[in-house]
Amino acid sequence: MKIFKFIVSKIFLRKAILGIGIMLLLLMANYITFTAARSILSTFQGYQETKYVNQEGVYIANLDPDSHIDMSMIGESGTQAVYDYLNSSFKYAFYTDGFIVSVPNGDDMKISLGYMNEQYYRLNEFELSQGTDLDFDYQLDGEIPVLVGKGLSKTYPVGATIEMEESVLGRPLTLRVQGVLKQNAYHSNFYALNSKAYYNFSILFPVNEEFINHTSMDIKFNGLMDIVLLDTSKEEIVDLSEVIKDNLGLSFNFFSQKENYDYFNEYYLHSLKIIFITTFILLIVITCLSVWNGLVSVRLMLKDFTINLLVGLSYSKLKRIFYGYFGMLSFVNVVLIATFTAFNRYGCWLRKDATFATYGLFGLIGMDWLALLLVVVSDIVIGIIVVESMLWKIKKVPISLGVLQ
Amino acid sequence: MKKSLFRPTDMFELSIVYIFCFSLNLLLDYAKTLDLDAYILKAFLKNFIDYQPLIVSLFTFIVIVFHYQMLERKKAEIFCRILVGGTVFGITIRYVLDCLTVLIFVYFLSALVNLHFSFNLADNFYLVLIFVTYILISARRVRKYENI
Amino acid sequence: MTKIIDLSVKEKIYKSKKAQISILNGFRLEVAAGEKIAIVGESGAGKSSLLNIIGLLDRNYSGEYTLFGSPTDQLHTSQLAQWRNQRIGFILQESALINSLTVEDNIKLPFLYASPDQKGVGEIEDFDAVVSAIEIRHILKKKPLECSGGEKARAVFARGIIMKPQLILADEPTASLDVENRERIVTLLFNMNKEFNTTIITVTHDLEIANRHDRVIHLERSK
Repeated sequence: MKIFKFIVSKIFLRKAILGIGIMLLLLMANYITFTAARSILSTFQGYQETKYVNQEGVYIANLDPDSHIDMSMIGESGTQAVYDYLNSSFKYAFYTDGFIVSVPNGDDMKISLGYMNEQYYRLNEFELSQGTDLDFDYQLDGEIPVLVGKGLSKTYPVGATIEMEESVLGRPLTLRVQGVLKQNAYHSNFYALNSKAYYNFSILFPVNEEFINHTSMDIKFNGLMDIVLLDTSKEEIVDLSEVIKDNLGLSFNFFSQKENYDYFNEYYLHSLKIIFITTFILLIVITCLSVWNGLVSVRLMLKDFTINLLVGLSYSKLKRIFYGYFGMLSFVNVVLIATFTAFNRYGCWLRKDATFATYGLFGLIGMDWLALLLVVVSDIVIGIIVVESMLWKIKKVPISLGVLQ
Repeated sequence: MKKSLFRPTDMFELSIVYIFCFSLNLLLDYAKTLDLDAYILKAFLKNFIDYQPLIVSLFTFIVIVFHYQMLERKKAEIFCRILVGGTVFGITIRYVLDCLTVLIFVYFLSALVNLHFSFNLADNFYLVLIFVTYILISARRVRKYENI
Repeated sequence: MTKIIDLSVKEKIYKSKKAQISILNGFRLEVAAGEKIAIVGESGAGKSSLLNIIGLLDRNYSGEYTLFGSPTDQLHTSQLAQWRNQRIGFILQESALINSLTVEDNIKLPFLYASPDQKGVGEIEDFDAVVSAIEIRHILKKKPLECSGGEKARAVFARGIIMKPQLILADEPTASLDVENRERIVTLLFNMNKEFNTTIITVTHDLEIANRHDRVIHLERSK
């Protein structure tokens, strides 16, 4: 440790510009790796989530990109007619969210409301930390059982009631907390798998037929966009498409399990490949620059290193010192990246952004820690390349020449 | 070249670090123009495009590293040149001119790429200002090696 | 007398892009403990190369070498480092100092790499004794660039002897010194030999100094 402190303070830090150079290059490498790793991990998480829904015999709705939305054609009766047809002819999973309301809570967050029917709830296998599964057999006039996120559970524990003016029904409701979702439970956007909404400050409503019949057009229309038809066939869906076209003037595509997977594989795999290749190329370029910086450092500090070698420092000890120094720079960088990420995550709390507020060790969630682990792995690889090339350069110069540089 | 502190390898090294910085800036400018369907790619690139000036500016630090190590290595040469009749002023001017020559050459190349992609020529110009500042600051160090 | 060096060099080759030079062909050297040896010869004869081989700084030659009773080809690099720290003292030209450290830090540098059992043992006493003997107390806090040639040469000398090595290898230790400083360094060197029975091998161009050693080895350029 004494030798390490000596070499770092008396040699490396004397030429601090070179150290800062390596540090910044490493910071860039870490930022790129971290960003790419999080994109890939987040997409993977979203992909895993779709597996719950995208099953055999399932068709998922998707508004045809070429379909023109004529709002004058979309009305209460038309939307209800579509749902009447759905209720009579199909088993379907319904989910929609993003309705923001004010509900008093300890963190003073705006609350996001999510609505799902029993089919969707069963498909998604929501994990609870407290309480029991949602009950869909309730009356709108009585207490409605709901699930809440971890952030709300402090103010509204299991069994507590929430009085609120609910926007989609347009009347006061009494909600009873039936269960608390696991910390950082999330929902990924089906068509942007890497983007997700966290449920920590959400209330999840059970939607039954009565609810659908009494609710406003907005929620019905939004729910239709991602509706999931279960145990059905291509032929049955053709009729539904016509019903939607007749009542709302919209063209919908319904994609089967295979079509969805083909889409994911083509669209996401391709994107992930581009991210991976771009990251890899950038890392190679940064590694080359780091090696150049390392060799420049050796060129300028050769005499200092070789005099130490002359009076008793061994190459193996020097190697350990180099790795220690690089590890120290890497550690500082990882801490910087972690702090930057934690600060970003904390920003969601400051902005009272319920959709992105998360819990985690030092403010970082599991995905962040995993991405940081990959950053450490990339640092180790870069470190080995840089340190070994520096040592190669030092060993190339005989001690007797180096001391007289 | 005989009176210059630069050797062909130094010129090459300086060109490479300039080219790297200009390329990075161009690459991010290019990324901005991409009309991507894929949300995941857009989201990924946003992490870099949003911080483009910061990222590019941090990378320009390698140019500082170049100037620093170049002059550190040339200590003895500067001293010897002064010993045999050179002046600090003359050496400094030549050093600045050599650096500017490389910078103008690389900027010219990057401007051609800018024109090819119909980017604004000014997009790369802020880098020229940064690099000129680095050159001027580093040139002041020549004086330091008058006596070694 | 105990033999501490038994060196037999078949050949030492320096290669460049255009030519290949072979030196020290068939060179043999045996040195007993406490001996004072001077190596002289014209430039390019291989004096410094020989010193590097003896000091284990260069192992890229064909031949056999036993130092302190151990065949050197079997020594691990960490053991070589330990020997450079404790058993061999190098006295090189005055430029072999770290400019960013003070003279004191430069002289104390070998203490940093002393083995754990030796660390701290008599370091202050040894340092004080050496500093007094060499008369460099006044420059201890100075950086090498602030010292004169003679002062730097004495600092290099102090660093070379601070660990009381069994073998001192001096490469032109007086090359750039005036008569007074030259005499002072040589006297100190020989005192070390007398007091601690230290073996001394000196490379020099100065025949007057060479003749004050027990043996003078004259190297000639290979033809």
